[in-house]
Amino acid sequence: MANLKEIRNRIASVGSTMQITSAMKMVSAAKLKRAQDAITQMRPYAEKLQEILGNLSGSLDLSENAYSEQREVKNVLIVGVTSNRGLCGGFNNNILKRVSYLVNQEYKDVNVKVLGLGKKIREPYKKTDHYYINDAIAPVEDIFSNLNFANSSTIATSLMECFKNKEFDKIIVVYNKFINAAVQDVRTEQLLPIESTVSETETAGDYIFEPSKEEIVSDLIPKSLKIQLYKGLLDSNASEHGARMTAMHKATDNAAEMKKNLTLGYNKARQAAITSEILEIVGGAEALNN
Amino acid sequence: MHLEIITPDTKIFKGEVDAVQLPGLDGSFQVLKNHAPIISALGKGTVKIDLTTSHETHENLSELVIKDSSNNKVIRVDINGGVLEMLGDKIILLAE
Repeated sequence: MANLKEIRNRIASVGSTMQITSAMKMVSAAKLKRAQDAITQMRPYAEKLQEILGNLSGSLDLSENAYSEQREVKNVLIVGVTSNRGLCGGFNNNILKRVSYLVNQEYKDVNVKVLGLGKKIREPYKKTDHYYINDAIAPVEDIFSNLNFANSSTIATSLMECFKNKEFDKIIVVYNKFINAAVQDVRTEQLLPIESTVSETETAGDYIFEPSKEEIVSDLIPKSLKIQLYKGLLDSNASEHGARMTAMHKATDNAAEMKKNLTLGYNKARQAAITSEILEIVGGAEALNN
Repeated sequence: MHLEIITPDTKIFKGEVDAVQLPGLDGSFQVLKNHAPIISALGKGTVKIDLTTSHETHENLSELVIKDSSNNKVIRVDINGGVLEMLGDKIILLAE
């Protein structure tokens, strides 16, 4: 028979764990709301930018651009986006798995570097030869403690620079896309070189272009790259809070279930103890009567 | 005409305006009502918005908007570059 005091202690500890997980769930829910708002805020911007770019590219050959140059792939940079904190289910593991697949399988014959955004990917790669950082990115490496467009732009600009001066021939971003609070999808997107997108909108309209189409395009492409990276970061941020909320919800449920079972066991043990005590007393009284 | 200024982080301004002065890559220019459709890249500079006939109060503007001290019908927004599209009396400015 389990010791009553032991069970009581376990019930208390499961109860306090449950309080922590349910508090973390509330916090994540609040943060998720804000992260989701941030995505909804920037979506019209991204859509409009894409639309204008589509309007322009109808009559222009974008492959002339410095950022769409296809080179023989010798140096690859993988930008992995994870969170700074754990306790969010498979969120970070999925990214780590995908990145390690890319490093060890898909690009094992070429020189691969990994730029980690978020502590959970930075730490495992810090000790390996694949770890990559440069002076421009270093100050904003810890982007998730202060996520805004300016910091994200700094990283994007530096990545574009790296591509242009041929330090890397291909730059890939791996992040969790936000589907809904419970579902994230690991995405592997090629940031550079720009993959030629066939635009379905060929209606350039009667626009006046000021200064010229070419100049506008060369101004817009870096912008859309910055937006692409920022969108990835915002998606990852929202996914993180969603994943943590779901994980903590499950943990709270499990704790409740465990507490129920423990309480049942405790009551059984208590009942058994009382029964045996009564039996002893009755047995003793019977013995005296005889 | 209707003007919207959007940044990746937030929407800075939305409302009816009389004229907008913009920092084009090749110099400053102004867009008035019924301007022909235009797409333009903008450089670093100030967007000056004229609200002379606007009856909207624009009370809760973002802190990025600066009110002109001498004329309370003019507001300014500093941008680091951007792109502008005007179509059918509606201007969308994607600022940075």
